[in-house]
Amino acid sequence: MTMSIVHRATGIALYGGTLLLALWLVGAAIGGAFFDGVNWLFGSWFGQLVLFGYTWVLLHHMLGGIRHFVWDSIRAMDPAGRETIVRIQLAASILLTLLVWAIFVWFK
Amino acid sequence: MIDKAAIANPKTHYGNGRAATRGFIQQRVTGALNIVFALFMIWFVVAMAGAADAAARIALIRNPIVAIGLILLIVNVAIHMRIGMHDVIEDYINKGPRNTLANTANLAFVALVVLLVVGSVLKVLFWG
Repeated sequence: MTMSIVHRATGIALYGGTLLLALWLVGAAIGGAFFDGVNWLFGSWFGQLVLFGYTWVLLHHMLGGIRHFVWDSIRAMDPAGRETIVRIQLAASILLTLLVWAIFVWFK
Repeated sequence: MIDKAAIANPKTHYGNGRAATRGFIQQRVTGALNIVFALFMIWFVVAMAGAADAAARIALIRNPIVAIGLILLIVNVAIHMRIGMHDVIEDYINKGPRNTLANTANLAFVALVVLLVVGSVLKVLFWG
């Protein structure tokens, strides 16, 4: 139940979040001081915080989609199965997010 | 009488069966492809953030594989997110002109994002 709402909420966040990808590419197309400003924004502590959150939202929604593929194949649909699959999803999304940041940002 | 025509007719409250099935299939096909595109986008954002300067970032986008990847990504994502928002609208604003308005706004937003991304990538690709 909660994870259903989270799947929808992360979906809506990604929907709006496409504007961030668009901003970076529009910045590149315009170039000059505007592009410098966009690059500074994504490099700032606030931008990094947003990107960290975005990473989890993206990976969690992706894993939620895979969970739905499992359900489409009529597996893990009983109450116990649902609980297990959702816990695996949450643990995996947090671990993968930390892994991505550890490999690409913190310990590169 | 509930027959195939009544269910397929969007004016009956049984909904548009063909559109719903099409949405179901498209949502899953684009969703599966999005697994690849999500990993590609993480790689792209990391490369953009880690690039030395603006010129290196432009060079990254000018790589034809990256440029084509970004265009395919946003088209695939656009189809997926339009269906997702359509489902949300269906749950909360499911009747009358406000439903039409919400669905039109959804399409307008999705089209705007595609236009911005594809336009920017093509501009950078051909003119730097």
